Amino acid sequence: MKVIIDGLACEAESGEYLLQIAKRNHINIPTLCHEEALAGLATCRICIVEVMDAKRTEVEGDGQTERSEKRKIVTACVYPVVTEIEVITNSEKLRDMRKAILTLLMARAPESDAIGMLAKEYGVEHNHQWLTKDDEKCILCGLCVAACDKMGTGAIATINRGITRKVSTPFEEPAESCIGCCSCASVCPSGAIPFTDLHRKRTIWNKEFDLVSCSWCGEIIGTKEQLDYVGKRIDPSPDEHRIGLSADAHGNEMLCEHCRAVREASRLKWVRQKSLA
Amino acid sequence: MNGHDVTNIEKILVCCGTCCLANNSMDIVTGLREKIQQAGLPLEVVPMVKATGCSGLCENGPIVRFLPDDLCYYKVKPGDVDEVFEKTVRNNQEIDRLMHREPEQRNRVRTREENSFYKKQLRIALRNTGEIDPFSIQDYMDRGGYSAAESALKMNPEEILAEIECSGLRGRGGAGFPTGRKWRQCAGIGRYPKYIICNGDEGDPGAFMDRCILEGDPHSVIEGMLIGSWAVGSNSGYLYIRNEYGLAVRTMEEAIRQAREKGFLGKNVFGTGYDFDLQIVKGGGAFVCGESTALMASIEGNTGEPRAKYIRSVEKGLWGQPTLLNNVETWANIPEIINRGGKWFSSIGTENSKGTKVFSLVGKVKNNGLVEVPMGITLRELIFEIGGGIIGERRFKAVQTGGPSGGCIPEGLLDMKVDFDSLEAADSMMGSGGMIVMDDRTCMVDTARYYLNFLSEESCGKCVPCREGLRRMLEVLDGISEGKGTEEDLDLLIWLGSMMQEAALCGLGKSAPNPVLSTIKYFREEYLAHIQAKRCPAGICKKLTTFRILGEKCTGCGLCKKNCGALAISGKPRLAHVIDEELCTRCGNCIDVCRFQAVEIG
Ligand SMILES: Cc1cc2nc3c(=O)[nH]c(=O)nc-3n(C[C@H](O)[C@H](O)[C@H](O)COP(=O)(O)O)c2cc1C
Ligand code: SF4
Ligand code: SF4
Ligand code: FES
Repeated sequence: MKVIIDGLACEAESGEYLLQIAKRNHINIPTLCHEEALAGLATCRICIVEVMDAKRTEVEGDGQTERSEKRKIVTACVYPVVTEIEVITNSEKLRDMRKAILTLLMARAPESDAIGMLAKEYGVEHNHQWLTKDDEKCILCGLCVAACDKMGTGAIATINRGITRKVSTPFEEPAESCIGCCSCASVCPSGAIPFTDLHRKRTIWNKEFDLVSCSWCGEIIGTKEQLDYVGKRIDPSPDEHRIGLSADAHGNEMLCEHCRAVREASRLKWVRQKSLA
Repeated sequence: MNGHDVTNIEKILVCCGTCCLANNSMDIVTGLREKIQQAGLPLEVVPMVKATGCSGLCENGPIVRFLPDDLCYYKVKPGDVDEVFEKTVRNNQEIDRLMHREPEQRNRVRTREENSFYKKQLRIALRNTGEIDPFSIQDYMDRGGYSAAESALKMNPEEILAEIECSGLRGRGGAGFPTGRKWRQCAGIGRYPKYIICNGDEGDPGAFMDRCILEGDPHSVIEGMLIGSWAVGSNSGYLYIRNEYGLAVRTMEEAIRQAREKGFLGKNVFGTGYDFDLQIVKGGGAFVCGESTALMASIEGNTGEPRAKYIRSVEKGLWGQPTLLNNVETWANIPEIINRGGKWFSSIGTENSKGTKVFSLVGKVKNNGLVEVPMGITLRELIFEIGGGIIGERRFKAVQTGGPSGGCIPEGLLDMKVDFDSLEAADSMMGSGGMIVMDDRTCMVDTARYYLNFLSEESCGKCVPCREGLRRMLEVLDGISEGKGTEEDLDLLIWLGSMMQEAALCGLGKSAPNPVLSTIKYFREEYLAHIQAKRCPAGICKKLTTFRILGEKCTGCGLCKKNCGALAISGKPRLAHVIDEELCTRCGNCIDVCRFQAVEIG
């Protein structure tokens, strides 16, 4: 199937999302709430594009061709292509709409990492007339909640409706199910979720965790709860039988990714040498 | 007492909808029943007292109707029962006091048909409400109920689709999507199971047409859904009913039970070998839950929030399966279309909007209530003939249509024909049929603010245009109403609003700017008065209002003084009064009560 994006004919499979097709063809569409692994949020609306039917209808008389002029505004990150369409990603109108969206986001979270660059690109200035919470960085994209759900922990959620909506743990108390994995903080485009790793302790969402370090290099691997949780998900057998990730009790060494790779490599080398010998 | 004689009464109908129940209509029912029993009137003339659903003119309830004459009494109180029984039931006399008085003419009106509130109405969706006992399936069947389903189940689904398409019916829940086309799309998809849903969320404040149907004529919805299920090939349906609608839920539960008993629901319906059953789901309580994807999320047990999707529900809806969702009123129209034919239905209404629409006419009109009228009736007819004009003979200013995210239509457009397309062309919408009439004591800036405030609380807050847009638009409007507005603010509102209309995720955010954009379009001068002259012409925005008594007009009657809660008015009897600006709280009572137009807004 063919899709024309900004005049460029692109090959696409039916059902593929517009954003994917554009990316593959090096056409840049701005995004804020899109992550390949957590697709489908479509909350920021910055990836809007104009879509129209590719078929042209003949206009009688002067022999000119004209489009069946019905342009639709859609969000590229969740728009599946099922018929041949023509797409415009950067018209005057779209830029103006994105500017309005960025003006709103800038007013909400002027300190957000994600907004700054885009705001500059679109010539958005901070509207000082509007009240802003100084320490607000969250743009409520929802990625953190989606990441936490994907982990299966579901320790955070959006609470409240309308203009008072925010991300929070249940009852704003430290969450029972939080394992301190920091998936939320690392996926956040705004750097809005604070956490600290200090003195072998991690603090996030008002909860404290013990950090586990690599037995070889000392690099932080994760929290004890996180390694336990991941261990259980990989191997759900009862505790004493499990080959553990944090299972120091079983004599396993706790290694970070890098050191584990080194160990594997040297083991292979050793095996090869032995077999050569 | 003079008046006409009343033909021997065969039946008494007492409206027992929620509004009338609140006014003790149940006591009237039991009171009358008791009297009739005690008197042991001969059986043939024993009047029947029925708990009928809403009859529309809610403002004037409880309403009691006497058949066969169709004599109507309004605002009947339990204390009136004795008199009604003695005079009307026993001695065939009318009671003048309880009859309807036409706002213009001062004469009393005897029957419903003579009452101008009903005269221009045409009842299709409301054909049975107020006429039957909603708890009796037999009553419904006596009026031809379930005959449509019975014949539909003998028809080829294709024939049903053709009939609905021919009728030109469009969805009554807001968007006005052609019902026949939706059904055909769903029927054309070969994945099973398929689901059918009735949207009874009705979150618009002030709207109650769906409640009225659910409470007053539940079987018409069930029958409509049964026909729809056969047409698209579904075996199970859901009735999503707003949680606050306790009576509607109870009525529906009972109706479903009776329909199962008769074999109209469940296994092997009408002995055809076809299975279809219904279950009730109570709504999540938020306005946005009425939106189709939020509603489905809510039925699935998730948070009632809209989902971003470009795949239609008829393809992938509830639990990812093909789903047919229609509004209560849409469903209630279906049996009548099957019975009388799509052609008949399409003969009513305008070019692109067929049939009738139920409106809930409220606000500053004399006759408040539900009205069902053919599409294409003018706003003027609706407001001034059916509605009886503006309360207190004040000036009409605007009518807000389509629920909280509809627009405000000015006086200049009163002769506009009401249908889907013309309302949209006027920057408003049909929505679910809310119609709020406003008089000259309404400030349009304040009105826009009011709706925006509602929407900012009811938006789910998921997407940026809606959440942040509403918040900032509200801030700007607050500023204007406090005299801090600038002319650039109007451009800013339009800029943000038009972005929201296209970029928001769901219909709520897309329509939310309507109240603001339409008032700026039609009432720009009023905005400018707030901005430039720092004055609220309607005398509503407190910071921009002062009230003054015109000495030459004041007769010194003292009515304003009596009604001023702040004790800000002083003056001797028969001498001109004055308002102390310091003490005045700008409540506006004085201007509303003065009979000599002596209070001026400064
Ligand atoms: C914010 C919002 C609220 C809605 N609320 C309702 C409602 O209360 N009842 C309803 O029938 N439709 C409501 N709708 C419209 C539904 O999404 C849907 O279009 C309708 O139920 C489809 O049925 P119809 O084609 O018979 O109108 C709402 C839409 C939006 C965007
Ligand atoms: S905290 Fe970050 S990831 Fe979570 S909603 Fe806010 S901006 Fe998005
Ligand atoms: S438009 Fe409003 S209600 Fe709809 S998804 Fe966005 S925030 Fe929620
Ligand atoms: S990237 Fe946020 S809506 Fe598409």
